[in-house]
Amino acid sequence: MRHVPTHGFSMRALTEGAKESGYLEVSVQLLPRGVFDLINYHLVTQRLALKDRVQFPKDSKLGAGEKVRTLTLERLRANQDIIHQWQGALGQMSLLGNIPASLKELHILSDEIWYLSGDTSVDTSWYTKRASLAALYASSELFMTADASKDFAATAEFVDRRLEDFQKVGKTVGGLGQFVGFWAGNTIHLARSWGMRV
Amino acid sequence: MPQRGMQTAPDQKKPLAQLSQDQREFLDRALRVNQAGELAATLIYTAQTPPLLQSHPNLRSLMKHMYDQEAGHFATFNKLLAKHRVRPTAMYPVWKAAASILGWSTGVMGREASMACTEAVETEIGNHYNGQVRELFRWMQEIKSRGEEVDPELEELINTLKRIRDEELEHLDHAVENDAKQAQPYAPLTNVIRYGCRGAIWISERV
Repeated sequence: MRHVPTHGFSMRALTEGAKESGYLEVSVQLLPRGVFDLINYHLVTQRLALKDRVQFPKDSKLGAGEKVRTLTLERLRANQDIIHQWQGALGQMSLLGNIPASLKELHILSDEIWYLSGDTSVDTSWYTKRASLAALYASSELFMTADASKDFAATAEFVDRRLEDFQKVGKTVGGLGQFVGFWAGNTIHLARSWGMRV
Repeated sequence: MPQRGMQTAPDQKKPLAQLSQDQREFLDRALRVNQAGELAATLIYTAQTPPLLQSHPNLRSLMKHMYDQEAGHFATFNKLLAKHRVRPTAMYPVWKAAASILGWSTGVMGREASMACTEAVETEIGNHYNGQVRELFRWMQEIKSRGEEVDPELEELINTLKRIRDEELEHLDHAVENDAKQAQPYAPLTNVIRYGCRGAIWISERV
């Protein structure tokens, strides 16, 4: 990984790294997916490092949304050393053979962030939360590759705007559900008060 | 997935048993199905109760007792799923709708039909839990025969499942006492419900 900032996610970085660790250049052939394995290594280690990088105190008054924001930004920040090479990595990840593994990693990351923010819901929202966070993270990461602002402040604002959007959508959908449920319940109760055996 | 590592229990010499990948997947599926089942049970009772109590107000306390126990089971499985990071079934909204419709229609059909529905569901569920308890018990025997220590969480799970199975069978007995067998299209009604339950269990294990 040390060679990635200079050589990008490429075979060159892999071979330089192998040489440095005292292995033969040809030993990189042991990695079945070549460069993708290097990218995957970065993804997995940064995901696992999240719980060490962000520790919420036990009596933290932060809401779940706040925690999700903190965790997402922290994970994005973990990319900053190699962000100038990340567009190449995204290209690699979108190669047909690599797509399933990349999507799986994205889903696992989304699950990890929700878990670390203390989410314990196990109904349909389990799916919607993870899907929306995955979309949010993917778009923010892409935005970050072109972000030249100081300390990636523009990316942080982007994340905030997306989170607001999701909250709005969530409220609308929830409101619609409540509306339909209310009228359905109303109809049944009215029928019962008329003596219908419903 | 629960991360069970090889550890030596503090003041004992036997190492703590680690579950294999297959066993973890089994537990994953089992907990997912159980949560879906309890969701369905609570919704069936919720939907059955109002039409049933209109014609048989004397069943109020029985329905409340059964509902409270199912709600307790549901809460237990929700906690287990969150703790072990198990994915809930994607069919959640489908089961919600199906269970409500089943409860409402058997409630409207009358007391015997409602009780027959309970009898059918609890028979399937009782078998289902029994199968899980047997399987986990077999794991425990294997672990002991290998000379390893059984994880206390596993023992607790087995005891929880046994308790829940017994409560479900108790509901089965209540249903039969309340003339479940007198329900009029008895065979078709119970068969449809039982096969429906088996199908739902099969799907929830996978989806």
